[in-house]
Amino acid sequence: MRKTGSGLQIDENFPLTKGALLLGFVFLLLLPVVARYSDYVLQVFTHALLLATLALAWNILGISGSISLGHAAFFGVGAYGSVLLSLELGISPWFTIPLGGLVATGFAVITALFCLRLRGGYFALATLAFVEIPKVITDNWDSLTRGSLGLLGLPGLPTLSLGSYHFDISASPVASYYFVLSYALLLICLVALIFRSNLGLALHAVRQEEAAAEAVGIQVQRYRLLSLLLSAFFTGIGGACYAHLIRYVEPSLVYGLHFSAIPMIFAICGGRFTVLGPPLAALVLYPIDQFIFHPLLPAGHEFLYGAIIILAILFMPSGFWGRLGKGHLVSAKTGSIE
Amino acid sequence: MSLLKLEALSKRFGDCWALKEIDFSINEGEIVGLVGPNGAGKTTLVNLITGRHRPTSGRILFADQEITACKPHEIRRLGISRTFQSSRPFAKMTTLENVVLGRIFSKEFQLFTRQTDIDTAEQLLELVGIAHKARLPASDLTLSEQRRLDLARALANQPRLLLLDEVAAGFSPLAVKQAVELVRRVRQRGVTLCIVDHFLTLSLRVSDRLLALDHGEKVAEGRPQEVMRNRKVIRAYLGTRREEN
Amino acid sequence: MWTTAFVSGITLGSFYTLIALGFALIFGVTHTFNLAHGELLVLAGFVSYWLWKTFGLSLVFTFPAAILLSFAVCLILQRLFSRLREPLELNSVVVSFGVAILLQNSMLFCFSGDYRLIRVPALNQGLRLHTFYLSYGQLTLLALSLLVMGLLYLLMHQTYLGKALRATMQDREAAALAGINVGVMGVLAFGIGAVLIGLAGPLYGCIQYLYPTAGLQATLIAITITIFAGIGRLHGLILGGWILGLVESLAVVLLGASWREMVSAVMLLILLAMKPHGILGREG
Repeated sequence: MRKTGSGLQIDENFPLTKGALLLGFVFLLLLPVVARYSDYVLQVFTHALLLATLALAWNILGISGSISLGHAAFFGVGAYGSVLLSLELGISPWFTIPLGGLVATGFAVITALFCLRLRGGYFALATLAFVEIPKVITDNWDSLTRGSLGLLGLPGLPTLSLGSYHFDISASPVASYYFVLSYALLLICLVALIFRSNLGLALHAVRQEEAAAEAVGIQVQRYRLLSLLLSAFFTGIGGACYAHLIRYVEPSLVYGLHFSAIPMIFAICGGRFTVLGPPLAALVLYPIDQFIFHPLLPAGHEFLYGAIIILAILFMPSGFWGRLGKGHLVSAKTGSIE
Repeated sequence: MSLLKLEALSKRFGDCWALKEIDFSINEGEIVGLVGPNGAGKTTLVNLITGRHRPTSGRILFADQEITACKPHEIRRLGISRTFQSSRPFAKMTTLENVVLGRIFSKEFQLFTRQTDIDTAEQLLELVGIAHKARLPASDLTLSEQRRLDLARALANQPRLLLLDEVAAGFSPLAVKQAVELVRRVRQRGVTLCIVDHFLTLSLRVSDRLLALDHGEKVAEGRPQEVMRNRKVIRAYLGTRREEN
Repeated sequence: MWTTAFVSGITLGSFYTLIALGFALIFGVTHTFNLAHGELLVLAGFVSYWLWKTFGLSLVFTFPAAILLSFAVCLILQRLFSRLREPLELNSVVVSFGVAILLQNSMLFCFSGDYRLIRVPALNQGLRLHTFYLSYGQLTLLALSLLVMGLLYLLMHQTYLGKALRATMQDREAAALAGINVGVMGVLAFGIGAVLIGLAGPLYGCIQYLYPTAGLQATLIAITITIFAGIGRLHGLILGGWILGLVESLAVVLLGASWREMVSAVMLLILLAMKPHGILGREG
């Protein structure tokens, strides 16, 4: 057992949390079996997993101290990027999804030119404004994107081809679910790697004390840029996956507040300084929203997200998972806790 | 051998000249005290040397290499470290991690922290005397311990020159004594030191030479006893006696 | 065509300044950003719409209700903001973002997502002057905006309260040391802001469609003008409003109406790029 500064007793070997996590993982793995008779349940969790990846991606920028209110820009750019490449050029989504991520990263470079010199609240405001640009351009570029009408009949999620065996992922909700689940697990591992590496350390240092980080040899702007680009890349991939999942895009949908606000809310409420906090928040809160609040309030059930972010900022800024003391930064060798 | 050389160094902020034509050099192995009342420009000088601000005019040479326009991370890699006046540990990280951070970014980028970095960091914590709090969050340390952490972090990259900004401010006499011993131990490791000290508690006891500033100008330099007897220095600190007016 | 664009630019711009006044006042006094500003505006508009539609009240009589509701919500907001820790700008941005979501969903629940408009036919008639056409609506907008600005100016410069507010905006600590209760000043700022929102909201409902997510545009406009003006300068706000209105009109004429939304966003980004240390660095 170790004591943190706030007197909170934590124990990494605490069997209850590890057991709970394992149980949750098994549940997710076996969900299609459990929810055999309900496509809706499967859909909700697929969407929850996608939001989990978006929350993870948002958090890569979040640990450097920058709060972005406009991540939907990268989501939408990734979505449209992938969709247009696969529609116009007939490239398989296996390639266009990562390419969509790259397009989003390219857009992030432009964003950085305007926004990266800003800090704190002003950075947040700038990101809020920045979503409008790709949204309005997409809306007006009718010849390419059919504007506000959106694009229908998109290629679905890619086909898995092994030798002569072809499996069309998009045809089966179960396969789609596992596709997104695999991506989510992959991203969790990647983010854990980033957080535990020297890159993660640098970002934490930049967030806490920028001047001291500089004095210690960290090139602050370079690391902030890197975190923004990585964050945009994975958000763009999320957008591309979403587009191919529902086979429809429209500017007000993919550039909408929903995809800016909700990943951010999951990341902050889950635990901005932890790896597992954001995806856990997504996997718990989104199903609650859909299964409990949505039937009660078909219009306006998303008030939940507004309420919890207010409560989180006022009472639990380090998030639920962070409050439990579960955010291990670097390996136990240095005994770090966030 | 002159390790650090300042040539006609000046800095202006808007209409105000924080430093005017400072000429000074620090020799290898020395301990130099940078003294003067509040607002004399001492911290500005440290900021110029470490790249936080750019000089308005003048040159800074480190081991005969010009570093006037270098950025903070380049300065660090060249072997110059500093501590801050208000000590700034990374509060949410452990003491050990703070020192490790001081080490890993001063050299070639590695993706992961190596065991050697952690071992070196532990040794440094022992040197400054806070090894028993290695795995606690840095925010748990007392003021004196935080200052020592700052020192350990600054030493982590094996600097040739270390700039200490007000490291003994607010210390009790006992703490000052410990600080003196610590500074001597650091010098024994081959580090040249420049100590910014406006209360004179530390620098008088431990410096080989003093540089005294007032209103951005150099008013005296030399051995501590000589500098402290210098009329201009006394006037800077205490003002003038009424008879002299 | 250019004169019409110019006239509509100035009238709309004046209205934009009216929208921005409350936001700028709150930011100046409390150093918090209220991202729910636009939503409050739309809410006031919805209340006005509802009274007009359900009870047939004439627009003028809906103002008190709109102001009262804005007042209530602003007071709650002020209580929330007073509990925030440093850094105030960032935390207020995120919390008010949450409030904006709350308000959006409440409006969605109460009024549904349909687009609404308060139709006052009298406002569409107008005067034909020289080469352009000036509707009564535009005239009312311009006149009301300038009137309110004038009243606010008198308040800020001729009353003790106004001077206390200005002092707090310039230097919080100094104001506190001078005996001004900065906490009360904060409440006052929210109160006056609420009145301004309550006045602007119903007007907004006459010239723009009301729907739950319409607030973001208004918030962006308020932020842009506030950052342009810096703190404590009313004429900066007026100038900012006019510039924004004119640039928007120009964009509509040159590019088409669908590009209008981007104008305030681009202007905000350019402003922030020019003032990376925020607007507190500017002399008051």
